[in-house]
Amino acid sequence: MSAAPPGESANRLRGDLMAYASLSLISIFCAIPFFWLLVGSLDGNAQLFLRWPETWTFANYLRVFAKEDGAKWLFNSLFVVGSATFLVMVLSGLGGYALSRTRAWWKLPFLYAILLIRVLPSTALIVPLYKFLLTLNNAEGALLRPIFGSTTRDIMRWTGFIDGYLGLILVLATMQLPLSLWIMKTFFDGLPRDYEEAALMDGATMLQRIRRVLIPLALPGLAASGLFAFMAAWGDFLLPLILLSSPELQTLPIGLFRAFLRINEIDYGLLTALAFIYLVPAVVAFGFARRFLVQTFSGGVKG
Amino acid sequence: MAKTLQERRAERQLMIVLLPSLLLLFAFVIYPAIYSVYLSFTNEALTGAAARAPRFVGLRNYTRLFNDAKFWNALFVTFIFVLGSAIIGQFVLGLVSAIALRRRLVFRTLFSSIILLPNAAPEVVAGFMWISMLAGGDHATLSRIVSFFGLPTADWLQVFPLSMIIVVNTWRGIATAMILLTAGLSTIPQEIYEAARMDGATPAQMFRRITVPLMMPTILLYMLISTVSTIAVFGLVYALTRGGPGGATELISIYIYNQSFTAYQLGYGAAVAVIALLVSLVLGIAYVRAAKVEI
Repeated sequence: MSAAPPGESANRLRGDLMAYASLSLISIFCAIPFFWLLVGSLDGNAQLFLRWPETWTFANYLRVFAKEDGAKWLFNSLFVVGSATFLVMVLSGLGGYALSRTRAWWKLPFLYAILLIRVLPSTALIVPLYKFLLTLNNAEGALLRPIFGSTTRDIMRWTGFIDGYLGLILVLATMQLPLSLWIMKTFFDGLPRDYEEAALMDGATMLQRIRRVLIPLALPGLAASGLFAFMAAWGDFLLPLILLSSPELQTLPIGLFRAFLRINEIDYGLLTALAFIYLVPAVVAFGFARRFLVQTFSGGVKG
Repeated sequence: MAKTLQERRAERQLMIVLLPSLLLLFAFVIYPAIYSVYLSFTNEALTGAAARAPRFVGLRNYTRLFNDAKFWNALFVTFIFVLGSAIIGQFVLGLVSAIALRRRLVFRTLFSSIILLPNAAPEVVAGFMWISMLAGGDHATLSRIVSFFGLPTADWLQVFPLSMIIVVNTWRGIATAMILLTAGLSTIPQEIYEAARMDGATPAQMFRRITVPLMMPTILLYMLISTVSTIAVFGLVYALTRGGPGGATELISIYIYNQSFTAYQLGYGAAVAVIALLVSLVLGIAYVRAAKVEI
């Protein structure tokens, strides 16, 4: 390669400087709001506005679990979102495999349908969804009450469709299914059929093929599918807001939201600590999911 | 060619393992979408007489909707919100980041991690962080920044509510634009730039004549994806303003929520939802066609 002409390196330097300047400004814009959470949660006397703490303390984090129901909210969030994620991984693993391997007529219509389902805003679906879940819930209640009597409510807390874990888990999982099915379908498309055909030749049943051959091969795909389901379900605010009302079922976003609404007695130290606890799993999952991000804009753009 | 018995059995098994997903999607997405069309023709309510015996009211919800200034306001607010944050804000900052990050810079990973961070924050957390940035008059972080530069401060969420939610949503979505546009940029062959440089083209000329035209398909896709996802934004703005002050930030999603769960008018809320569903569906079909999705 010949030496660059003198103007070239000056140009490059100027371009680099412009890149540094614009990236620095954009990064400052992106990072600034986080400082309040970080500093406020360690401040003994945190306020709504950003300030340098006079005393640094971990008391806020302890208070989240001691004074408020932080532990309960965290458990509920982990349980509901964890179950939904697990469900999505199982269903999208199976369904994605079927979508990849089938030659049936419904393959194309189904794939177009799940692409379109992805664009439907959940706020627009929430009203009929609420009505439908209410109907299911009443039917379940009518069925269980004669059998279990007064303990029905305790059972429905787990299996109810409105104000119960089951309904929220199922709906949260369903909302993540289109993307996850798509991820898994694309993933299986990239896996050669040779392994399964060999297993088939050896007389392996469907279940054996799934357990011995497909699950080990599909783990990277399942990781991506599960990560995206976890992130979306963890951050979701609308569904728990509408579907849950009992205080003992509240999840982190709702606990946080309600704590902020107590206008005159907001404990900002506690709130920022709670928000930080809620933020950490999301950021960690996002860090793991980074390398899969491009693929989520399925189709056209290749990752 | 006739299918063998074994092939037919395999097809049936594939259908069976897909069935649970199909059932869930049907029960909790497709059926509600169809049911919302039905609801929009009734006077269904969450409480009161209409809740016990909802009646079919024909197009009354829709005629009411077209004469409802608050509905038009919500449409207008949503339009400005999408235009300001997705089409302009996120796109411009995302493109600048994507282009700048193509250079071999020292803090490349650090920059891109920080830019991705807002996207990872849950909606409610993002909303609260921005309350601290914007509310509280002179103490708000933004007020302190602008007064540092000698500019006048304001009660941001009261005086410029719509502009502020546009800024916040821009902040949250730069990463999405950056990721997609980076993917698009990487498909442009470097040789084209080399050739243009040989011919003495300036960076500005290369950007206008090479980057923009070759990126057009990606840009179009980005616009469709981000428009659809921005129409669906709810928690971020709801946590920040709850639609106020005076409807200034009442997006269509917040309007649906307020009509259905604050005013308890499920039938009317469903009519608004049907409009939002239709708009999203049209954009979605345009997306599938534009993306030339390979299945």
